[in-house]
Amino acid sequence: MKTSTILKYILLGIFNALMFYVVPLAITYESWFLLLIIGIITFLINITYITNRLKPLKWITPGFIFLISFVLFPAGYNFYVSFTNWQTGHILTKTQVIERLEDLTYSTDEQKGVEFDLYVMQDSNLDYFFLADFDQDNLLFGKAVTSDQFEDIEYATHEPSFKDSNNNITIPESLYLLSGKEQIANSSTLQDLSILIDKNTRIKLYNISVFGASSGRIFSSQQKYTYDQDSEILYDNRKNVACTLGDRGNFVCGGELVDPGWRINVGTENYHRIINDDRFRGPLSTVTEWTFQFAFLSVVLAFIVGLLLATTLNNEKVRFQKIYRSIYIIPYAIPAFISILVFRGLLNPDFGLVNDWLDPFYQLFNIEPIRWFRTEGSSKAAVLLVNTWLGFPYMFLIVTGALQSIPNELIEASKVDGATPRQSFFKITFPLLLVSISPLLIGAFAYNFNNFTLIFLLTGGGPPIVGADVSVGYTDILISFTYNLAVSGGRGVQFGLAAAVTTIIFFLVLIISAISFRYSKRLERVYGNI
Amino acid sequence: MSNTKLRFGAILLILSLVLVACGGSTEETVEEPATEEAPEETLAAPATTSPPPEKLLIWAEEKVAVALEPLLGAYESAAGVDVEVVIYEFGAIKDDLSTAGPAGEGPDLFIGPHDMVGEVVTNGLVSPIDLGSIQSDIFDVGISAFSVGGEVYGFPYATEAIAMFYNSDLVDGVPSTWEEVKAACDAAGTELCVAAPGGGGGGDAYHNIPFVQSDGGYIFKFDGGFDPSDVGLDNASALASAEFLDSLVKNGTVASTDYGGSMSAFQEEKSLFWMTGPWARNDAAAVNYGVGLIPTFDGNAATPFVGVRGMFISAFSENKVLAQSFILDFFSTVDVQAAMYAEDPRLPATKSLFAIVENEDPIAAQFAASASNGIPMPNIPEMGSVWGPVGDALLIIRDQNYGTNEDTGVTVDSASDAMKLAAQQVRDAIAGG
Repeated sequence: MKTSTILKYILLGIFNALMFYVVPLAITYESWFLLLIIGIITFLINITYITNRLKPLKWITPGFIFLISFVLFPAGYNFYVSFTNWQTGHILTKTQVIERLEDLTYSTDEQKGVEFDLYVMQDSNLDYFFLADFDQDNLLFGKAVTSDQFEDIEYATHEPSFKDSNNNITIPESLYLLSGKEQIANSSTLQDLSILIDKNTRIKLYNISVFGASSGRIFSSQQKYTYDQDSEILYDNRKNVACTLGDRGNFVCGGELVDPGWRINVGTENYHRIINDDRFRGPLSTVTEWTFQFAFLSVVLAFIVGLLLATTLNNEKVRFQKIYRSIYIIPYAIPAFISILVFRGLLNPDFGLVNDWLDPFYQLFNIEPIRWFRTEGSSKAAVLLVNTWLGFPYMFLIVTGALQSIPNELIEASKVDGATPRQSFFKITFPLLLVSISPLLIGAFAYNFNNFTLIFLLTGGGPPIVGADVSVGYTDILISFTYNLAVSGGRGVQFGLAAAVTTIIFFLVLIISAISFRYSKRLERVYGNI
Repeated sequence: MSNTKLRFGAILLILSLVLVACGGSTEETVEEPATEEAPEETLAAPATTSPPPEKLLIWAEEKVAVALEPLLGAYESAAGVDVEVVIYEFGAIKDDLSTAGPAGEGPDLFIGPHDMVGEVVTNGLVSPIDLGSIQSDIFDVGISAFSVGGEVYGFPYATEAIAMFYNSDLVDGVPSTWEEVKAACDAAGTELCVAAPGGGGGGDAYHNIPFVQSDGGYIFKFDGGFDPSDVGLDNASALASAEFLDSLVKNGTVASTDYGGSMSAFQEEKSLFWMTGPWARNDAAAVNYGVGLIPTFDGNAATPFVGVRGMFISAFSENKVLAQSFILDFFSTVDVQAAMYAEDPRLPATKSLFAIVENEDPIAAQFAASASNGIPMPNIPEMGSVWGPVGDALLIIRDQNYGTNEDTGVTVDSASDAMKLAAQQVRDAIAGG
């Protein structure tokens, strides 16, 4: 047996062991989906590497798994979220909401704000006892139990014997008084315990002090809400009303919605809103139009600049080629958000360097200085200018690479045939470039279609479109518009709605890319066999 | 074929590795009863029965973590608690909490701004806290900032509000009226007068809000809680205030600057005043500066938004009593508060700390005085639909971008029009959900 084979089986074994290790965890957390995914992945990996029949798959399987986990799964999850009402007030599951609500205690108004020293004791059976020190006449002592044992215990009684003549607490020998540190060590048990004063009143430990005396608070002996599993009814014990299930993933108590609610499936409601709600529809066409313009122009401008520089520098007569090339890559090497913020400063109409530099021209031609970011045109121009700056080094790089792969003989042959340099560029070099570069141009288009960082940092979408139904600006593209809607909607964050818009954007980009790829295939067929 | 045998052997190997993996987990289950044996031996001293120390996980920003670090040791040893502080970017806590909390991975305690209270309460992510006797030590604005539906949801530890920086080389202080401010600028002869963020293409409702709510305007009516159905952005007072802002822009008192622009204007002595908050003290120190109150509006003190930072208890904490105790018994003490102030001098939210700071730092006292005139930023989730429209409307006024919009056909010819439009957008957004 070859070492590589042994290694393969050992690695596979380790992989399987890890996968099986996750199984009990997934079962504990009731994460059936994770279990399913683990099952599929384990199965795929094993049949790929153990059997010979599926050997060709051995290169594809890992890629396929990464595709599933990092592309298909997020996209699918986003698709799923777009059919839910996931938004502020609806981010938990129903089980979690019921847990949360049942966890709530309450104090009546006269119980509120009463604070007193509380002493925690333990007897030899490890049962806990609380002593609540209200005043000389109310030194209440009782056994501390969890709420399901309330019916079995007696009410706390006044025990003046726990204080001596100097007002110091004295403890009978049968009990052990817990220090603050000891209370903290047992705090996860103690937090569920209370002593009962009467049917409606209980005392709980509230603040464990390690520097002074711990204190307690008075609560109602009922929880704020109790839930009945069978009838699906929630009882509001404070107001004494029964709450029913609302149709939006909430309990409704006497006409009022109870927060928090939970996520429910709302079908295509989010998509309906995008199509039918005037607040969305109005700006959507303006925003979509600009998104296409922005993405298209960004690619074209960056490509033109990149192409010019690349063809110029590709000429052998240019000296210091490498130095120039390094310099032109600098905008690519600086993190985009830094460049964007720098440009924001440079373009500032009042103090920015750009207007300072342009000042002689403004005076020469007697024109108003450009009010960068304050008018529609200047903002759009600024966005495109900065994006060209950010984008051209990438184009420069890929064009340089592609140029070097075009055989020199073709150009020389055309020269022999009497073609001018311009002719040979447009008839030979450029078409050949497009063959290899057009998929990257499509990629750049899709990237700019969703170029949130640039818009968010440079203009924030501004200047605002005055009079639009929602807060939207002239340079907002679909993704930043979505962000505004989702984050600054009527009542907090609306993930469901945002997911619906991104799903639409996803399909838009998909369609554009599909068409473009078909077009570039055709290019390949025409020029590919030169 | 030997190949089949080989493969069979390999499968056996794999299975054995799987068994090893499973074996690992069975060992763990065996361990558990072993720890339960301990109590029997120690019956005599019952309180020592739970050996593993309790743990508290806190999410806090770096400066808070750094300030707590040297003090935590004393609390940890006194209380026998393991306190772990995870450093988070201040603004990122809320988002991560809403996923980590329900998944059981969240912290017991975390810090955050008060304006997220409404949202996290609505989402069921936080537990109320009864501050008890320490409540009297906290400024009212802090308590109301953290109140939702009659419950307090956090311990406020710092406040902040904007005021007015002045260049102390060029002017003696901030005059109390805007007319005098203008006169002071004319006398000093600076290029710009008051550099305030919220213009220059950068909408900023937060910095602009004194121009809206100082003289009777309001965003949401406050009556024990903020009422999202009562928007006062276009009441008579708010419109008058907007027109007044318009006149201040027109006569050159308030310059059209965004945050960066206002900062460089002040640093380069192009402006006499800079309207912003205590976070900018280091930046303002490029010149000799002082701080005063924002001038009055028609005799009324300027009403900035007060932001309050506080510590919350997660609803998903397994040990809430311990979390409460950490706040009440340790975090709220003046020593801890003073250490946090030393690390990050924000305005104190507690009176005991303010008493110390007041003498040491007159600038902070000025900001605190400005905050005492302010109101807390509305903490209801509906506030999310306010920032955009109000920022945009005030931006129109600040940048004097009036006119008819070709795309929408809407005409905004005056400051009043802009405010009416904003009010309508806010109402629509809230009604539209």
